[in-house]
Amino acid sequence: MTVTVDVGQRPIREVHQDLKEAYTSGEPIRVINTLSRHNLGGGMPPGIDITFEGSVGDYCGGLNTGAKVSIERNAGWALGEGMSRGLITVGGYAGMSCGAAMTGGTIHVKGDAGPRCGVAMKDGNIVVEGKIGYQSGFMAHRGRIIALGGAGASCADALWEGEVWVAGPVESLGVDVNVVEPTAEEVAEVDEILEPLGLKDTSRDWRKMISGQRLWYFESRDASAWLMI
Amino acid sequence: MCGIAGRILGAPGRVGNDLVELMDAQEHRGADSTGFAVYGAPRDTGYVLRGMGFDKAGLDADMAGFRDILKAHGSDWLEEPTFVTSEAGHYCMRGVISDPADLARWVADADEMTDRFEVQSCGRSLEIIKDTGSSQDVAEKHGVRDLIGSHGLGHARLATESSVLPNASHPFWARPFADVAIVHNGQITDYFTWRAKLERQGYRFLTGNDSELIAVWVSDQMKAGLTMQQALKKSITSIDGVFTYMIANTDGIGFAKDQFAMKPIVAIEQGGELAAATEEQAVRRVFADEAEVTNYDGPSLTGIWGVGNRRMAA
Repeated sequence: MTVTVDVGQRPIREVHQDLKEAYTSGEPIRVINTLSRHNLGGGMPPGIDITFEGSVGDYCGGLNTGAKVSIERNAGWALGEGMSRGLITVGGYAGMSCGAAMTGGTIHVKGDAGPRCGVAMKDGNIVVEGKIGYQSGFMAHRGRIIALGGAGASCADALWEGEVWVAGPVESLGVDVNVVEPTAEEVAEVDEILEPLGLKDTSRDWRKMISGQRLWYFESRDASAWLMI
Repeated sequence: MCGIAGRILGAPGRVGNDLVELMDAQEHRGADSTGFAVYGAPRDTGYVLRGMGFDKAGLDADMAGFRDILKAHGSDWLEEPTFVTSEAGHYCMRGVISDPADLARWVADADEMTDRFEVQSCGRSLEIIKDTGSSQDVAEKHGVRDLIGSHGLGHARLATESSVLPNASHPFWARPFADVAIVHNGQITDYFTWRAKLERQGYRFLTGNDSELIAVWVSDQMKAGLTMQQALKKSITSIDGVFTYMIANTDGIGFAKDQFAMKPIVAIEQGGELAAATEEQAVRRVFADEAEVTNYDGPSLTGIWGVGNRRMAA
């Protein structure tokens, strides 16, 4: 049995009250008539299986703590911002800052993702079947962005310890990027992420981007220098 | 953070109503003020004026002085002005004038009144309606939902760079270029540099709002011979800041987006119609959820959507 929640033009607070009740049912949830509304499904708890019919607006799935979230069409800005666990799947396009500051879990985008995908992410995986936009991976602290269709300009700009993996054309690199040949073990790790998503393909020609650690703050590891920032 | 919108209908209709819906959906992006630019049936002769006076007690004297300036330029009212007054003390005017001998010179003389009254739009077709308050408030006060036209722009303002005043609201008319209007989301960081350059060329700015500058900047480039598409592209590398703006004339709506991709714009184009806005949930007020939306999320993007089912140039 599926529990249905209708969004329409109702106040989002009211929709969230219905969603909270639906969470307690333990049944799969189908959210209809989403009309690209913002802030749908924030802070979803673990164990939830929820599908958004159509497109959602900004911040969908933010602070997800373990729910399985499917969005049938497009998502707006900051999809899954700050999520710590769970899986978010987008059938179409994900807007700017997809997975911003996420600390864990997986975001799977079947189309393209907009600019600054994975900005300041701290862990977890973002898998994009299409292309990632301008300056994706900007200041990613940890975690992986995996783009199967290519990357836009200024890719992996100012990375920290995050990684950007691209199997496709890269328009241009950002500042302080090293492109390195991944080891067989590292490729196997990425394939492990892709396999449950049905995307494993051992013939891919990967470009792995990591920080070159040439920016000034990598030379300033003592606390007194950091106070200048 | 402001909200902007553009709408093109397949055939002339209640474009005002659609613009109100587009802005109502984006009210949370800025409710300081709301404005609309509506392109109605183009006139063969005469200009539609929209203006604002800052003290309704001085309305009669303002209009007497304004008419004197019209007459000095060989013009007069073709349609007597009508007024909407405000509790805040200002009033808004609409009227139609016959063609002045030289439009730019008349505008320059009319601008001598700007401490009391300013012309906020002038065109064969363009009418700019703007005021402080939400889209619903402004729509109700000025009858925006009933305005008929082919296309138009909308703006919800969160003031950052200039005051919350009725006349600092968007859209802005590219004075003195007839029928050109702009809405803008962002900040221009070399505003004073460009303003000084344009003022040396004789242009006049009535507010400290950076959006007013872009409208004139683009129009000046077109006056110098660039197409709108060329001017839009040039603006991306010539003007500093983070911005997405939409500029309209009688032929359609163009947009430009800065090099940093910080300000969103999405659009649905379907059957010769267009709805474009800062947020997708706004354009879905106009088109059904099934319509395919295009996210112009990347940096350094420009485009033009033409009225009358003319395809945009990207």
